[in-house]
Amino acid sequence: MFSVIIYGRNDQHGYNLHKRAAISFNALAEVMSDPDDEILFVDYNTPDDHPTFPEAIADTLTDKAKQHMRILRVRPEQHVHLKSKTHLVALESQSRNVALRRSNPKNRWILYTNTDMLLVPRTEGESLSDILGALPDGFYQIPRFEIPEMLWEAAFDRKDPAGNLAKLRDWSVRFHLNQVVHNFMPMKYDALGDFQAVLREDMFAIHGFDESMILGWHCDSNLAARLALYRGRVDTLMDKAFGYHCDHTRVAAANNKGRKTTMNSHDKYIWNVSSPYIPEQAETWGWPDATIEEVRLDRDTSYERYIAGLSQAIEPATVPFTNTSVEWHLFDDLTYDLRHTLPFVCDQVLTYPKSTAILVAGCRADFIQRFATAWRGMGFTGPVLVPQEVGLAVDDPAIRRGRFADQLKRADLFMFEFGLATQKIDDPVRVGREESLADRRQLKAVERLFRRAASTEGETRPKGRQTPRRFIGINVIYNKYWPIFTDYVGANINPFCAQVLAGIPLAEPVTMKEKVILKFKKKKAS
Amino acid sequence: MAKQGFLKSALAGVGFLRKASAPDFPGIDDPDPERQGQALFRRGRYRMRAGEVEDAVKDFDRAIELLPDYAEAHVSRAECLDMLGRVEAAQPDYVAARRLWAATRTGAPDRSYIWRQQGRLTFEVESYELALERIKTGSYPHSAVGNALMARGRPAEALKAYERALKIKDKDPALLALKGEALSAMGRHRSAVDAFSASLKAVPRAPEVLSGRAIAYAALGRIDKANVDWRRQLAVLPEHQSAARACVALRLGAWAEALPELDRAIEKAPDDPYWRLYRLTALKRLDRPAEAVDVPPGDWPAPLFALHAGKATPETVLAAATTEGRRIEALFQLERFKDVVETAPPHMIEYAAARNALGR
Repeated sequence: MFSVIIYGRNDQHGYNLHKRAAISFNALAEVMSDPDDEILFVDYNTPDDHPTFPEAIADTLTDKAKQHMRILRVRPEQHVHLKSKTHLVALESQSRNVALRRSNPKNRWILYTNTDMLLVPRTEGESLSDILGALPDGFYQIPRFEIPEMLWEAAFDRKDPAGNLAKLRDWSVRFHLNQVVHNFMPMKYDALGDFQAVLREDMFAIHGFDESMILGWHCDSNLAARLALYRGRVDTLMDKAFGYHCDHTRVAAANNKGRKTTMNSHDKYIWNVSSPYIPEQAETWGWPDATIEEVRLDRDTSYERYIAGLSQAIEPATVPFTNTSVEWHLFDDLTYDLRHTLPFVCDQVLTYPKSTAILVAGCRADFIQRFATAWRGMGFTGPVLVPQEVGLAVDDPAIRRGRFADQLKRADLFMFEFGLATQKIDDPVRVGREESLADRRQLKAVERLFRRAASTEGETRPKGRQTPRRFIGINVIYNKYWPIFTDYVGANINPFCAQVLAGIPLAEPVTMKEKVILKFKKKKAS
Repeated sequence: MAKQGFLKSALAGVGFLRKASAPDFPGIDDPDPERQGQALFRRGRYRMRAGEVEDAVKDFDRAIELLPDYAEAHVSRAECLDMLGRVEAAQPDYVAARRLWAATRTGAPDRSYIWRQQGRLTFEVESYELALERIKTGSYPHSAVGNALMARGRPAEALKAYERALKIKDKDPALLALKGEALSAMGRHRSAVDAFSASLKAVPRAPEVLSGRAIAYAALGRIDKANVDWRRQLAVLPEHQSAARACVALRLGAWAEALPELDRAIEKAPDDPYWRLYRLTALKRLDRPAEAVDVPPGDWPAPLFALHAGKATPETVLAAATTEGRRIEALFQLERFKDVVETAPPHMIEYAAARNALGR
């Protein structure tokens, strides 16, 4: 019957976002009763190495919310062409249009709202699907009522949407919450963007939200202005449902700088709108040709993929714990426990698109072998590119061997592993083992490839790609590869236990040699 | 807001309140029920805003007595009753308003959106006029008022509103197209063609503007030029707008092209009898067999289905056609195309379809 369209990203937009959003997602699902109903969440521009926002809070969502939710992930690479034109990191019009284009065509209605709204049917037991199903064609709004921060934060149980809606029915009376704030037409009510129910067909006819509105604010008013022209009227649905907003002004959101807030022009986008249509985006709104990944919370989840991949690549431990050490005298020992490290390695890649091509250059054949197995098991369809220059005899359906120079231009992600080629899976770890000649030769080869990849990353990107590619280093903590890796890659300080560092290449690599020269120059100058 | 300035916009309401303290509701004693009903509605809305809710209900009661199909008055009374806590009493009015709006037959989907608006739109006109108290540099309230006036059959006043909007947003293609619609509705088809052409010069792929110009050309007797525009309109209309595409094909008398579009339109709106009726028409024109359409006898256009089924005579159908529009629909279904061309307004699908049928 209807598709709810909301958007956001995995960040902190305003006060206690996680609780607000969980309350809202669960409450929206609670008032759905048609199997075709859906909550379309556009996860816009979350960094590639992060899960989407709903995935990050999935444990706080009800089964019903997970069943109805479809997450459409817009990658930073898909946003990058707009990056220089806006100060915002998440764009409303683009997000909502991406969802509209991909909404369930069986649904007659689109409901635009936000991730902090609870919709309460006035007749208990009635669903929003029932309400919208009985409505004649039109464009409907409801007034928004505020819930004080104390109330929703302290008294709502995220996983009890029915209880939360019942509380609202009580509070609305007890605390006089229901105050209708009227507004100038075509807005009808204040904060109208929290409930605009529109025919899907109408949204297609008027070419969706205006995608030139990239400075934030008034996208909802612009839509109202255009739909009010198109339909002639703005109808109320306040006889059927009330909308409650979890107030979140304790902390200003990123798009709210008080009187200094940058926003889309009120004049241009409301008071000088002259047509419901936007002919200049008639063919392009909602990015019809873009491949938008869809993530589900009720099946094929990242966790399920992770488990599947690792289960194929490693066996469960047979001992209660194993040992390693960061004692100083073991600094040069490059042995590590592959079975312990692989889960942290897989954790680094899981949030990337399934079609990702990853270049893996390593010293240990068993690492590459097991990683490739896990890669396939996690559902990746892109290749594991292994440069022939590393010279390892590994074989897996996911592995593509080839010239490093060619693979550099194909890879979306890089992984460099610095272990001892001679280490076997059950060899002891960090007991003072020295490198053999074969180990040294292999390490040199991988290091050379790493330096070349990291220092030329900007020039070797696949055609059309603008965002820098991420580098993952394995066994690069608390050994000689720590400084080498971080000379080129901006990585955080991670615990030794994980063995993994990751980041994007520094704008200008600072090698040890360069550091010495800089120091010398400074000394000379002083 | 930027141009208005924070202070100016904040204080603008004060001016309105001062003016609103001496309200004037022309037509409140007018013997004409329409004028009096609308005046009562406006006073009711004023009283609602002033907090005199019980008095507002009385105004809406009286307005509905005078104009039982006044949907805006029903919904406003419902809101009053609702806010007074008489929730149960409010419900029938909300339902009545929606039923009334939904029952209004709207304009053809291939024409400008302004022809698809329902109701008297008194509330909208009043609201936009209120907005004009504050918004001095925006064209929107003017064009919105113009659209409402068009829907109420007052194109001359609408034209003035559009011209005010064009003073603010000079040569805006969308406003020029609205001006064209107003001129066309006033019978000033040559000027309408000029306005549409100026709009199309800026935005050539605007389906509804092409439709407007085609109708104006047809009214000027230039069916050849009209057909060119309708062909172009059909080429730029998206596939999902099947109802609009069907209408254009029907105007062109392109029956074979109309059929699949009509099938899709029926799928989307199975309750709209006109798509089924036009489907029967197309099949008949193509000499193809048509399955019987089960339409219960009664309201229009049921007699036309009966005609197709051989269960009604031309005389009974014409007798059942109680309005000018229905009479033209009946004449068209009777294939009296010459009569249609002589009497139908050029915007009707039947007019162009008959012209094209005669042309062949």
